[in-house]
Amino acid sequence: MIDTVHLGLALAIIGPFVGSLVVGLTVVLGDNHPTESLTTRAVGAGLGLSILGGILVLASLWGLWGPPVQGDVAFGDWLRIDDYVIPLVLLVDPLSVTIALYAAVLTALVARFSRTYLHKEPGFVRFFGLLGFFATGTQLVAFSGALELFFAGWEVIGIASALFIGYFHERDEPIRSSIRAFSTYRLADAGLLIATVTTFELLGSARFSALLEANTLPPIESTLLALMFLLSAMGKSAQLPFSSWLPRAMEGPTPSSALFYGAVSIHAGLFLLLRVWPVFAVAPAARAAGVAVGLATAIYAASAARVHPDAKGALAHATLAQVGLILAEICMGWTTLALTHLVCHALLRLGQFLKAPNTIHDTHRVGHDSHGPSWLERASPHLAARVYAASLHRLRLDDRIDAAFAPVLGLARALDSTDRWLRRVVALDRSPS
Amino acid sequence: MGGETLQSAPWETFIVCLLLLIAPVVASPRRTRLWRVGALVATLALALFTADGRVAYAAVAIGAVLHAFSAAPRSVTGAAVLTVSAALSLAAAAAIGQGTLTAAFVISCLAIALRSGLLPLHVGAASMCERVPLVQTEQLSSMIALVFVHLRFVDHHEGAAALGPWLVTYGAGAAIAAALLTIVQRDLRGFYRGTTSMHAGMLLAALGTASLGNFGAALLVAVSMGLALGGLGMMITSLEERVGPVGFAGPGGRGVTFPRLAVLFAFFGGAGVGMPGTSSFVADDLLLHTLWMASPIATITVILSSALVAVATLVTLSKVFLGRATPSLAPDLGIRERLVAVALVVLLVTLGVVPGVLLYPADEFLSGVPPGME
Repeated sequence: MIDTVHLGLALAIIGPFVGSLVVGLTVVLGDNHPTESLTTRAVGAGLGLSILGGILVLASLWGLWGPPVQGDVAFGDWLRIDDYVIPLVLLVDPLSVTIALYAAVLTALVARFSRTYLHKEPGFVRFFGLLGFFATGTQLVAFSGALELFFAGWEVIGIASALFIGYFHERDEPIRSSIRAFSTYRLADAGLLIATVTTFELLGSARFSALLEANTLPPIESTLLALMFLLSAMGKSAQLPFSSWLPRAMEGPTPSSALFYGAVSIHAGLFLLLRVWPVFAVAPAARAAGVAVGLATAIYAASAARVHPDAKGALAHATLAQVGLILAEICMGWTTLALTHLVCHALLRLGQFLKAPNTIHDTHRVGHDSHGPSWLERASPHLAARVYAASLHRLRLDDRIDAAFAPVLGLARALDSTDRWLRRVVALDRSPS
Repeated sequence: MGGETLQSAPWETFIVCLLLLIAPVVASPRRTRLWRVGALVATLALALFTADGRVAYAAVAIGAVLHAFSAAPRSVTGAAVLTVSAALSLAAAAAIGQGTLTAAFVISCLAIALRSGLLPLHVGAASMCERVPLVQTEQLSSMIALVFVHLRFVDHHEGAAALGPWLVTYGAGAAIAAALLTIVQRDLRGFYRGTTSMHAGMLLAALGTASLGNFGAALLVAVSMGLALGGLGMMITSLEERVGPVGFAGPGGRGVTFPRLAVLFAFFGGAGVGMPGTSSFVADDLLLHTLWMASPIATITVILSSALVAVATLVTLSKVFLGRATPSLAPDLGIRERLVAVALVVLLVTLGVVPGVLLYPADEFLSGVPPGME
């Protein structure tokens, strides 16, 4: 007999996946492209089941049906080889239920909005298929009770994000932006993967509950572990020096920008830090690094937001400034404030992003709000001009990152030349391929 | 588990290999001679089910020669390397007969390196990736069988354990070099070649961890590699049959004309770099944990290799399938191609969701010292 909490968790995660699967299989196996109606019904039903699942879990947490359920909920083992186990364990606590329900509801709202907004767009089916895929990832991230499951959901969010950015793929810029965002994700995700492996080796399990034993680790190990988590969070939440992909991500359709970079995905890194807080609690050096990164990002993003020439880009930087502040709050140990800030900020930004296409219309109606020189311009016009230029160029982050990777690409090209020479010398094939 | 499980391990591996072997045959039946497929199935069965290491290696050698016949008309290099691999398999069989297991282990590793495309022994596999990707897909099935035979017969002694860390280090180095090669390729075949070599590095590292006792992980890495690269090879063949060789400099936009091909290419490409929900995700995770015990540096190297190839996969997908639509009169995937691809997808997902189906019996079966080899 399946109890309420197991049913709720299963529905929350599997529901949207089944919706996407139906759409995907119809594309691959069907003779006709699926209709908008079929697509929205399939994905909508999946998202509805996800919300229902979240409500059931909330009811279990509150003990509405039987005794309250809190902590690890086991579904068996995903894998067990000798002493190595990937547990299929989900975690029910106020943090996971809050994040899961808010993500599920916001995704469903965006789906409803998109049904009208993207009507007759050529990529309508692709958008909804990806939306269900993304929802699966967010639910997995929210409820996962072990780092391996968390990483699976984390990766799903990253893949969906990259594909949404490249949604308007007829143009070159969205594709370039998509690759840039995905590259940042994958390189930063290396931190999470290393942290997952290290956690298992150091603590004997990659369950989040095992992190409570982090205080038994030597300071150097706990600090390195925390820094790996921080690296991953910085990539996903676009903190300096990984901030340059966020304004590029605005190339995607407005509903996905709202959901990903206003509400859910951009906050995923912060959720990771809240989840692994026991490690940060015993790693003051990593916390200090997090505060420095968060505040630096907030200052940079606030400056860039003031001079950004388009509405979505300015909103993205405004979002980034708040995310930087939330990161600093978490690393200062104000986790409850950070969670409240996170949820309220996500709701505000979602609305602002969805309204962004109307900004020009509203500006014409309401008029511009002109203002005089800022305090900095009054105090030092020269410095103000330099800040203005730096903000306008966004610190040339893209150029700096490209420069940092140039030697790697040079090495790759040298290897490629050697490889071609080797194959030319050794190969017996003389006819063209 | 117990005795019943011990008997089931070769069956699961056989089913995977069989599907990978017949996938290109079903998708493109005109290319295939049925007697050869039947002979390959027989060699696979013999290699996986026999309790005699010499017979198993001989069966693998015959399979390699049969693949060489298929490759020869268009890839002489591939055929030659397959023949050398067959000779090495026979040498491994002879070494087992003489009881020199360390020699058999080294020779067997060389045979696997040649078949899988490990840098710098990748010339044959590279030629097949470029010229006969369908034969490359087929030969991946018997490469999995070769890995199975290696893990079963020549990996249970002190010599193998002593060489394990070397294999891990070399495999990780070869993987990162191949990953770097992959990110600067400028055509679809180059991408396939580079990806194949990166997986070969990971496979060698996995074999190194197997020598330290992690047999199931190594087999799962080989199976995931075979299924993902096999699917990718089939999609590349299907695309090139329709539009000819695909470079990155020319127009992309084929996703509009061939949406199914684009979706399946993305899936197999993702499966090759540890996409969650596929067996590669579990295989990579398991590999990293076992690698960490041997060498944390090698673990980080493999993680970076996978990240680089993931980026290269997205670049390839975007260059080939995204962009302004390129008109084409050729149809999207046919029903045979779709069915075969979906079968591979189902297998990758099944092994990703319930990896124990293959992993538990395989680990138990391969961990035991085979009869007559104590």
